[in-house]
Amino acid sequence: MQPLKVSNLTLQLPDGSKLCEALSFEVSPGEVLALMGPSGSGKSTILSWITGTLSPRIRAEGRVWLGDTDITFLPVERRCLGLMLQQDYLFPHMSVAQNLKFGLRGGSRKERDELVRNSLNSAGLAGMDKRHPLTLSGGQRARVSLLRTLLSNPHALLLDEPFSRLDTDLRATIREFTWDAARKLPTLLVTHDKEDIPAHAQTVTLTSLGDAADHLSVGETRHAR
Amino acid sequence: MRLIGLSIAALFALPILIGLFGSFLPAAGFMPQLAPGNGLQVLLSDPRFVPAIMLSLKTGLAATALVLLLTMLTLVCAHGTRLWQWLMAFLPPLLAVPHAAMAVGLVFLISPSGWLVRLFSPSVTGLERPPRSWVIPDSDGWSLVLGLVLKEAPFLLMAAAAHLSTINVSDSLKIGRTLGYSPARCWSRLVLPQLYARIRLTLFIILAFNFSVVDMAILLGPGNPPTFSVFLLSLVNEPGSRAAASAGALFLALGVVSCIALVLIVERVIAAIAGYRRVSGYRGRSLAVFRGLGQTVIAGILMLSVAAMAMLLLWSIARRWRFPDALPSQWTSENWLARSDLLLEPLFCTLLFAVFVVVSSILAAIAWLECERANAVPRLDWMWYIPLLIPQITLLFGWQAMALLLRVDGEWLTVAYAHWVYALPYVVLIMAVAWRELDSNWHSAAAVLGAGYWKILLRVRLPLLVKPVAQAAAVALAVSVAQYLPTLLLGAGRHQTLSIELVTSFGGVDRRVIATLAALQSLLPLLAFIAALYLPRLFSTANQDTHATA
Repeated sequence: MQPLKVSNLTLQLPDGSKLCEALSFEVSPGEVLALMGPSGSGKSTILSWITGTLSPRIRAEGRVWLGDTDITFLPVERRCLGLMLQQDYLFPHMSVAQNLKFGLRGGSRKERDELVRNSLNSAGLAGMDKRHPLTLSGGQRARVSLLRTLLSNPHALLLDEPFSRLDTDLRATIREFTWDAARKLPTLLVTHDKEDIPAHAQTVTLTSLGDAADHLSVGETRHAR
Repeated sequence: MRLIGLSIAALFALPILIGLFGSFLPAAGFMPQLAPGNGLQVLLSDPRFVPAIMLSLKTGLAATALVLLLTMLTLVCAHGTRLWQWLMAFLPPLLAVPHAAMAVGLVFLISPSGWLVRLFSPSVTGLERPPRSWVIPDSDGWSLVLGLVLKEAPFLLMAAAAHLSTINVSDSLKIGRTLGYSPARCWSRLVLPQLYARIRLTLFIILAFNFSVVDMAILLGPGNPPTFSVFLLSLVNEPGSRAAASAGALFLALGVVSCIALVLIVERVIAAIAGYRRVSGYRGRSLAVFRGLGQTVIAGILMLSVAAMAMLLLWSIARRWRFPDALPSQWTSENWLARSDLLLEPLFCTLLFAVFVVVSSILAAIAWLECERANAVPRLDWMWYIPLLIPQITLLFGWQAMALLLRVDGEWLTVAYAHWVYALPYVVLIMAVAWRELDSNWHSAAAVLGAGYWKILLRVRLPLLVKPVAQAAAVALAVSVAQYLPTLLLGAGRHQTLSIELVTSFGGVDRRVIATLAALQSLLPLLAFIAALYLPRLFSTANQDTHATA
């Protein structure tokens, strides 16, 4: 696995205000960088830019690298990034196993079945392969969604407030499950809840939208080590 | 309140039952005074029967398949682009254009002496006279297929667009693409399977319509053999053939059911293949060429529709337009002004039906939805779809038989009632969405301030719902203006609406007159849609002014 690097990222809204200016950071495999900040401070927009799904209305400058590969201009599907959003987005027209197989790349039918079964077992979801996503609990859904992302073999993991919709009791379990599953990947976490951030993570705080002077990260390179 | 709701349901559902019985009884020989003889035997022995039904099957299924493919192509290739915004702006007015008017515009466009040939003649084609290598309508029914696609694809696309918000397309695409799938694969594996389930019923309505359409088939379909519904229409007018026509009408309904069954089987096969491919892990590659090609096809179809409409306007103000001129050499307003004798009576007749249908269907829909809100009646959405799924000819032959029996054929109210039955489903279904979504706390907030039921309805709920009501009214007007068969069969020739005048005049009257009739017929719903767009804004502005003054 290789580090995820962002260099000199500047995001500008159509009205001219800047979400961030010359933001740079690097996240190595096994490390977590948390982007903190209030709603509207641009955390999710930075994630959208990294995944390649940024609205064309927002002007962006900067580069994103996976190891030595510049992925800035690659289409979304070729960036090899795993994305988790607030909602789990388990596709309702597929069973749990089909959702997981949708994430898998290649392999024979037998190998794919085996991989799915092992993944479900490892997540404490044994025997749930034929279940419809709607019949699962919130925690089970979150785990399946993360498994699907990991099965697609991403080179980095991007998490956009993935725990915010979970019950308080469930959050700790899912957080633990997530950090355990993501231990070999560079992980970028967007959150506004300090509780979400694991102990070993580094944090960049975006304070307010458009207030470039307040951005802690201006001109700085923050390594997550 | 329950009584009002049940009365509306009865007024709507009873004609459907009467229509089915009215077709069945003569066909089965139970009305010998009106329909003597063995209908089925006569029908089956008619040499036109098999070719006509084969043609209807071909045109109906081909048009429906193309409508579905075009809709999916549009979604995959255009969604989220500027073309999509254009489509969303242009499709509602195109939807408002009556089928007959679109058919006439299309003939003026693609016939040998049509505008497309004129545009490239003589410079490219070298033609000084219209070519004789093809005729419109063609003998295979492809011009009818094209006409149906131009009219029905916007209908399905608008229905699909309305459902997209329930699927959360952008996040599904985002997740799918980060999992490594190309945009087209994300659509085909994530969005379309969910969307198809939501538009299936609309597709069946389109299938039923394409299989049994009459006015467009008269204008664009071949004459020998004609489509099955046109054959039945000629049969019902032949003395002593009512029993055979009624049997044919039931056969037509059976044909629709068979076609739907066929679609369901094909759907299962495709779902099985798609299900397998979905979990195969194959990502596919993003093909910009495919996307570009799709966008070109869509833009071409859109331009064809717009050009067909433009043809009506051009011919309606043309004095002299010789082949191969691309534009008229002389212009005139006489087609509109000097032919007022020909236009005013149908216009007045059309408007009279339309106003009745708009007012009565809006009132009925409000009453029904209020009953539903008060739990006085259950939600019966399936009921409103029934007349749209049964071929018009099946119901109308039955209504005509009953009207003849009760001696009410030709009565204004009989025709207006039929228009109402066909407009009400659209009105209820359009208004129901907003009605059900409206926060019930508005009602509570007004009630605790001391307002009674009527005050809340008239001063709070209706002003908040003015936009969907206006849209539903425009659709009701468009449906009434486009009605051809109900006016023809129940009107006994006494009600010359624009639709009747247009189809009857086609082929036998000057192109300029036909174009003027078609343009006028298109203008009415277009104006209604413009009014539906702007009047609610005026209404809310007026309200704001009142509040500001107060």
